[in-house]
Amino acid sequence: MFHHTNSPQRRRKTSLRLTVLGAVVAAAAALTGCGSSGGSGSDNTVSFYSWDNEASMKPILDEFKKQNPSVDLKVSYGTPVQGYISTLQTRINSGTAADVFIITAENKTEIMEGGFAKDLSGEPWIGNIADAAKATYTKDGKVYGAATSSWGGGILYNKDLLAKAGFTNPPETWDDFLALCKKLKDAGITPFYEPADTIPVSLAALVGLQNQASGGTMDADIWAGKTSFAKTWTEPLKDWSELFKQDLVSPSVAGLTGDQITSEFQRGSVAMISTGSWALGSIQKAAPDMKLEFMPVPGDSGTYWAGAVSPGYAVNAKAKNPDAAEKLVEFLQSKTAVELYQKQNAAITTTKDFTPQLDPALSSMVPAVRDGNFYLPQVTWPTNSAALNSETVSLLQQLIQGQTTPEKVASALDAKLASLQGK
Amino acid sequence: MALSTTPELQPLQQQQSSIRTLPRKRPHRLSVTSWVFMAPIAVVFVALYVIPMSQSLYYSFTDFDGYVSNPEFVGFDNYTELFKDPSMLSALGYTIFYAVSTTILVTVTAIPLALTLNRKFFGRNLVRSAFFFPAVPSVAILGLVWGFILNPLGSGVLNSIIRSLTGLGPIPWLSDSTLAQLSTVAVTIWALTGWHAVLYLAYLQAIPADYYEVSKIDGATSWQSFRYITLPLLIPAMAVSQLLLMTNGLKVFDLPFTLTRGGPGFSTRTLTQSLIEDGIAQSRVGAASALAVLFLIVVGLVVLGQMALSNALQRKYS
Repeated sequence: MFHHTNSPQRRRKTSLRLTVLGAVVAAAAALTGCGSSGGSGSDNTVSFYSWDNEASMKPILDEFKKQNPSVDLKVSYGTPVQGYISTLQTRINSGTAADVFIITAENKTEIMEGGFAKDLSGEPWIGNIADAAKATYTKDGKVYGAATSSWGGGILYNKDLLAKAGFTNPPETWDDFLALCKKLKDAGITPFYEPADTIPVSLAALVGLQNQASGGTMDADIWAGKTSFAKTWTEPLKDWSELFKQDLVSPSVAGLTGDQITSEFQRGSVAMISTGSWALGSIQKAAPDMKLEFMPVPGDSGTYWAGAVSPGYAVNAKAKNPDAAEKLVEFLQSKTAVELYQKQNAAITTTKDFTPQLDPALSSMVPAVRDGNFYLPQVTWPTNSAALNSETVSLLQQLIQGQTTPEKVASALDAKLASLQGK
Repeated sequence: MALSTTPELQPLQQQQSSIRTLPRKRPHRLSVTSWVFMAPIAVVFVALYVIPMSQSLYYSFTDFDGYVSNPEFVGFDNYTELFKDPSMLSALGYTIFYAVSTTILVTVTAIPLALTLNRKFFGRNLVRSAFFFPAVPSVAILGLVWGFILNPLGSGVLNSIIRSLTGLGPIPWLSDSTLAQLSTVAVTIWALTGWHAVLYLAYLQAIPADYYEVSKIDGATSWQSFRYITLPLLIPAMAVSQLLLMTNGLKVFDLPFTLTRGGPGFSTRTLTQSLIEDGIAQSRVGAASALAVLFLIVVGLVVLGQMALSNALQRKYS
């Protein structure tokens, strides 16, 4: 047996142990160094974490580089929604967020309340941003994001299939819409599909009518305890659930995604779907001969659109190069950049110095969207929108299956909000 | 009983008892070489497991939202909230249902499959590969493919076949809560049975053929051979297989999510999905950390229980 003494072997072992320990410490230090370093290098570097993909943004960013040759632009691309949000959250938390990033419905509360974005309300160009866009990213009079476009959501219909059921004019009330669905069903045509993997467009518009009737402060009032989901959502939910009660829409939609429903529409298997303006391009590409048009969602007190302001550009409050970051955001909202963006993405742009030329299928929607006359609950909810959105989607899937009632869904939303607010 | 007196089994038992009586070696200090080999994994373990787990434990007692760097201490609030949230309780129920049912059903299908694949027949290697194949592609791809097959509309692959054969209307495979739960379990069994059968096959091939020959001479039926030779000698394989199935089942996310995204309603929402959504998408890192800590404890207890059971079975049959 080997005895531990101050033998040469023992000393060699000790020395080796120290070497190993040193290597481990060095490796750990190197790892830590990797995490804490970063920075944007030279003074003329500005970093941008893009929401849109490279194909969408390249022409715009190339133009920026052309106009600002002294600025070195470093761009990284996120994967909306969850991937982008989580990466941004981690980078903000570790102090390594890009100089310019995206503020959106899912993170606006945390970004604005946490003071992670710079106030843009004093910028000379802020007047070019649409009022609805400014309002979406404003808190306490400070504007934290520059959004240059919006999207609208309504009922997209196949004109030929509706003509077979004697369709002449878009329905003006929800009952008219149900009657149109029945007429289509009687004619052997599947009337309407609506994906249930998100809050349905038609329900959002019906709730939007309630919000409009209460002067646009419905959600603020719910959060302040002046009203409740039970008082404001129950009627729209009752109307919406008639689609399933009267067997006009298959309860199978509870397990379908927007993509699945869109592909059914492209095949001509269903006459109407609810979707957003962003889906039009891909549907036209897949079904070039189909005659399409959007109609607003009809409710008991008029028609309305679902929709929201698109994500906005925000300047990191701790930007390493704030001047160049502001320059980039100023460029992104300029006529040149917005025109390029519109050409690339067929977006309904809303900046005041540029009027987009859009597809005729969107003609009924564009004025309302550019004026900000639309509603989407998860964007308007003041706090906890992601948590409430997820809860609402699950509850609506239960409602579709007949496992719950409109009243119980509304009450469950009140209970969830109370729980999230720690009441 | 004939089998218990089989002379060939005797040396094995003697061998095992002699192993048990060997004097225990004194624990000795780890050599430098051991440290060299262990250091990288130790660094990774500390950096990627110990530190994040300690952070999770700390966050579980705070209102951390993922952004603010100095969260407030809220005591056990996050833990008490968990038990009030119906979606969380539903996720707990489904996850346990999924883990237990897939563990049992994969085991009872993989063992007979392994016995079949262990026999000699034409094209055996091809059949073995075919059964192993579902374990090769990414689970996310399997989810997307099965989502296409189980599409609840009439245009779905399975529904089209059923309609052409029986004339029956579309079956809401992924749109009905109960059917969605059963569908996720069925797809998991399809995906995992082959892999676990190969595991059992490896153990089956290690059983000496002499045992079966002797049992045949002693007049044992096929069932007796299986019950008194195959099954006891497969206990170690079952321990490994079931441990993997149970731990993977408890932390499952990918397959149910790609098939149903947790729906309809809360029916196929898993605990891991709750963790990811609460912690990242909903900026409720404190609440998600509390769930993670609780989940870790529950998984630890389940695994310890399962190991105790496996050891007890092993002792009984060895």
